[in-house]
Amino acid sequence: MSISARHGARQARRGPAEPHAAYARPRTGLPSPVLGGIAATALATLLLPLVLDRGGLALYIDIALSACVVVGISLLMGFAGQVSLGQAVFFAIGGYTAAVLVLNDVPPLVGLLAAPVAAGLVALLLGVPLLRLHGHHLAFATIAVHLIFLVVVQQSDTLGGNVGLMGIPGFSVGGIDLADHRSIAFVSWGVLAVVVLVSHNVITSRPGRALRALATSETAAESAGIPVGRYKLTVFALSAAFAGLAGSVWAYYVGFLSPGMFPVSMSITFVVMAAVGGMGSIWGALFGTTAVKLIVSYLGMLGTAGGMPDYAPAVLSYAVYGLLLILILLFLPHGVVPALRDRIVRRWSAPPRTPLDTAGRDPGKAGLPPANGRP
Amino acid sequence: MLHVAGLTRSFGGVYAVRDVALDVADGETRGVIGPNGAGKSTLFNLISGHLPPERGRVELAGDRIDRLPPHRRAKRGVSIVFQSARIFRHMTVRENVMVGAHLRARSGFPSAVLRLPSHFAAERTIRALAEEALDRVGLLEWADSDAESLPLGQQRAMQVARAVCADPRLLLLDEPASGLRAQERERLARVIEELKSTGVTTMLIEHDVAFVSRLADRVTVMDLGRVIAAGAPDDVRSDPKVITAYLGSEEP
Repeated sequence: MSISARHGARQARRGPAEPHAAYARPRTGLPSPVLGGIAATALATLLLPLVLDRGGLALYIDIALSACVVVGISLLMGFAGQVSLGQAVFFAIGGYTAAVLVLNDVPPLVGLLAAPVAAGLVALLLGVPLLRLHGHHLAFATIAVHLIFLVVVQQSDTLGGNVGLMGIPGFSVGGIDLADHRSIAFVSWGVLAVVVLVSHNVITSRPGRALRALATSETAAESAGIPVGRYKLTVFALSAAFAGLAGSVWAYYVGFLSPGMFPVSMSITFVVMAAVGGMGSIWGALFGTTAVKLIVSYLGMLGTAGGMPDYAPAVLSYAVYGLLLILILLFLPHGVVPALRDRIVRRWSAPPRTPLDTAGRDPGKAGLPPANGRP
Repeated sequence: MLHVAGLTRSFGGVYAVRDVALDVADGETRGVIGPNGAGKSTLFNLISGHLPPERGRVELAGDRIDRLPPHRRAKRGVSIVFQSARIFRHMTVRENVMVGAHLRARSGFPSAVLRLPSHFAAERTIRALAEEALDRVGLLEWADSDAESLPLGQQRAMQVARAVCADPRLLLLDEPASGLRAQERERLARVIEELKSTGVTTMLIEHDVAFVSRLADRVTVMDLGRVIAAGAPDDVRSDPKVITAYLGSEEP
């Protein structure tokens, strides 16, 4: 019997094409009501700057720009299996690159485009020695890079030393002024959209498949001809470029930069956001960033509200925040978004699957758990 | 096709592979047998590049490859199916096999990001190759399942598909039939025979002597890191050295 005939017979035995769709479904991801909800949320988020006050806009911009960094970390940690506790360095490099350029009368748009390139190039140079390390060693090395970076900036006159760079002009494109908070909010959103689109395109492609493969088994990936070292380096540079891009928008937004704005805790917070949302997931990165930022902001407001004791801010912003993180990571170790998605996908795909599996098929093949895919 | 000379590798002072020399002809299917710990898997890892040799040389079609990293050897046509299941997690069966076809299309990060025509062409090519390989091993209907959810036998078959998908010149199969049921074994044997008919040179580690005898043109017998016998399956089976070292006195 020919191969196609055999396949045809199999198709006939399992019935029309419908069950096949049930199999394919978990891979295509979430059911349409959930996707619709996500689309509505996205639209609402897009329109939010029109109604937000100054404080709301600041939080909105902060979330969008942090999310750019966190999406990069999620790629790096989730797909390339590399930990970086120095992503704030690339955020800062992007900021300083844009700032130095615009202070020397280069158009802000050029500064915005140069920032990710500069951050990416630095990552390529650092990555060659750093990515030979693994796990904790790599994490410590990236912290060291962060500390060294801060010292270098403090000593550099070009970068304003300890005092910092002042009077960075606001963002504008071709003479159109986009420096006000509402415009910057839309610019941040646009920048995040680019980051998400680039990440999505990378993940769902030949190099992305290679990255997902090497995250599980470098040995097996190598034997498929994947240059593991080069791919890891590329993701590292890509994640740095995302951070650099966000950093440049940040520089235009705040108008000044100093080394004190980029503490090591900033790098750690980025990793926390990625872990809360779920590694290796773009949605996870977006969710994690938003959740952590909102929680921190709410706890801050609560702590400084009238009638609260003096120690309230400290207790709320450290103890309660820490407790929330521990609870999330304890009960949802893979992050919130992968856990939710698995639950939803399982619920949606279970009913059509069961009759198919019990319809006199090979008992060894029955009872497949749902696909545990990532987008 | 493959020329190995003086190949040596030890672990903590104990030789796993010692002065191994062998030649595998173009299109040949070579069985590699021997008791546990004989050094068969180490030999494969030395050929595929996952272990660096201490001494000796490995040549593929006349080119020396023993200093190349594994991915460069893969590029030259060496494909390996490991003894232990190496499944890419969180990926479907199809995606797992598509990774095997990585080298059969060209599309890097820039064309992926910009969604250039080369990206779509690469995806089409790789997907078609993967599905062809899946069909060969009888896994096409499982293409959309999560790879980790497959029973062990099918995971092995999937790995064979992944290796085959790379269009190898030299295919190294490390106990591909272990854990397979009779029907699955038969299917695997047919896949190997089919590969042979398309001119793929194959090396096969296997404990089941009947399985090896059926498929292999020649058999290399290893014991304690050395090659102790080589020849046609029937000759090797009657070699007294082999009988004492490996087959034992129960051999009929």
